[in-house]
Amino acid sequence: MSTELSLSYDGANLDKDDAVLRTESLKKSFGGLTATDDVSIAVERGSITGMIGPNGAGKSTLFNLISGFYELDSGSVYVNDTEVSGMKPYEIARSGLMRTFQTPRRLDGMTVREAMLVGPQGQSGESILPLFFGGSKVRTEEAANLEDAQRMLERFEIDHLANAPSTELSGGQLKLVEMARAMMAEPDILLLDEPVAGVNPTLAKKLAGFIEELNEEGQTFLIIEHDMSFIMRIADPIIVLDQGRVLMEDTPDAVRSDERVIEAYLGGSP
Amino acid sequence: MSESQSDGAGLTERLDRLRVEPGNLGVSILDLVAVGVFFLFFLMLVAVGVLSLNYGMYLLGLAGMYGFMIVGLNIQWGYAGLINFSVIAFWGIGAYAAALLTSPGSPHDLLLSPVIALVVAIVAAAIVAVLIGIPTLRLRADYLAIASLGFAEVIRLLFLNEREWTAGSRGISGAPELFEWLPVEPAVRLLSTTASVGTARNTVVILGLLFIGYVLVRRIHRSPWGRVIRTIRADEDLAKALGKNTYMMKMQAFVIGCVLMAVAGWFYMYAFEYLDPGELEPLQTFYVWVALILGGTGSDRGSIVGAVTIVAILEGTRFLNEIDLVVALFEAIPGIALNVSAVRLLLVGLLIILVIRFRPQGILPPKEELIWPGAAPDDSRSQERQATREQRGVDE
Repeated sequence: MSTELSLSYDGANLDKDDAVLRTESLKKSFGGLTATDDVSIAVERGSITGMIGPNGAGKSTLFNLISGFYELDSGSVYVNDTEVSGMKPYEIARSGLMRTFQTPRRLDGMTVREAMLVGPQGQSGESILPLFFGGSKVRTEEAANLEDAQRMLERFEIDHLANAPSTELSGGQLKLVEMARAMMAEPDILLLDEPVAGVNPTLAKKLAGFIEELNEEGQTFLIIEHDMSFIMRIADPIIVLDQGRVLMEDTPDAVRSDERVIEAYLGGSP
Repeated sequence: MSESQSDGAGLTERLDRLRVEPGNLGVSILDLVAVGVFFLFFLMLVAVGVLSLNYGMYLLGLAGMYGFMIVGLNIQWGYAGLINFSVIAFWGIGAYAAALLTSPGSPHDLLLSPVIALVVAIVAAAIVAVLIGIPTLRLRADYLAIASLGFAEVIRLLFLNEREWTAGSRGISGAPELFEWLPVEPAVRLLSTTASVGTARNTVVILGLLFIGYVLVRRIHRSPWGRVIRTIRADEDLAKALGKNTYMMKMQAFVIGCVLMAVAGWFYMYAFEYLDPGELEPLQTFYVWVALILGGTGSDRGSIVGAVTIVAILEGTRFLNEIDLVVALFEAIPGIALNVSAVRLLLVGLLIILVIRFRPQGILPPKEELIWPGAAPDDSRSQERQATREQRGVDE
């Protein structure tokens, strides 16, 4: 089983039948520092793919490259087999790829309910003209989105916070709101950047439960996480990055016992 | 004790009922009551003789004009977080559109209708705003600040030096009557036999336009568009990650704000009947900023309160010389011969410091949840209020 999944050192797994997200030899350097070096990964539809690696391995850079926040030096990114490299972040988001940020972002002056309503895509009320000439369209959409938001908040068990100002939330609650809001967009793939960093163990457990539940309903995830027990429990396969390259991709058990991974984490030969 | 508490609850309940917005216009009954009280106070001042009706109406018109600029800047800075230091330049575009196209003193002798000038002012301001927005709105907020500061000077110098076009520092004087068909005369005569009908008409025009503008702005503020714009202010990357075209939306906010500033300038020409490039000093831009910050950044009601406040400060301090107590106080300072009215700006500064110290979010900060009218089931919100109140009762 694990031999079947185990791949070359490049970790490229481009022959997955149904990849929501695929990258081909992504390269990015900042000045003399190569942050991402020839990274090719694929995330299979319906999977929870984990991504680990020591500090500075290039995980967040990779997220920023995929979501269009950084410009690629070379390589291509495909979402649902459509090339998105070179597109603006908002265009990539509209193509079905949503992401969260490592440090959760607060929306000053907004309640949680309002913040949730930013999530849905294609709202006609986000253009000026329909606000005045759209008839009841904006109201109907808004009412439906409000209901969806309420359901999503209930699902993440934060509906009691609906009226709370975003600024009063704890870090963990903010992570939940971020994920719930991203889900409002009905993404094909959701990229989570360290979802349980700074989150207390009880909430982390809850969060893991939510992710698995959504996954059972077909949601695809790509998750960066430092918390090994968390990522090993929910993700399969796991991609290991080290020094901007893919070190390996395999099942959690195989990754856990692989010497190269242990070496990368503990430091050793460069 | 418990009786007074229940009285307090009864009061908040009654206030809640007044927060209902007839026709979902974004203007609550409470707002209308506040405006009504303000006008009663105004009429009282006139009746007592503190204000002459003419001067009072002039002040109201001035507040209306500042209102347009502040509401415009609020869209840019309060909603979207765009730092625009060229408020007065867009005001100038509107003012010069009115002066050049409609004034008998214009070097072009066109004598067009003020309505055409208004359209030209709006279109010109929008085009210029887009031209400034294209290079700066993709960049960080500070670039717009720098570019707009420079642009304001460019516009001022342009109007000053292109004499053949703009009459330069000689200025343009005279303006046609604004909307002569408005039947304000009977109402004015009711109050006074000597008051100027023209001033009254101008005041009615600007306050009427401001009301319409305010209602429209409230509508976009509470819309999904307004929500995204406020997301951009809080965190532009987040808005992008959620699939929002932030550049386009910042552009829209910038253009709408600049258009409102141009309307203020257009009105100025009819109220003052004289315009020269000296009016385009950068100081005016900062008065508008001060007014917005005093009123409450991001708050629509605050913008209007800011307009009244800034006019009260700027015009009110003119009369400090006439209050004996104040003059005596200043004369008591040994060694310095101070002219009271010369310390106006000092007082403005002091007031800003006091407000920032004791009410950093402004006089009427934004605090309501903004949801498109009619989308949320009405009763749920009042139920929530009821629930919070009960909760508070339990806590106490």
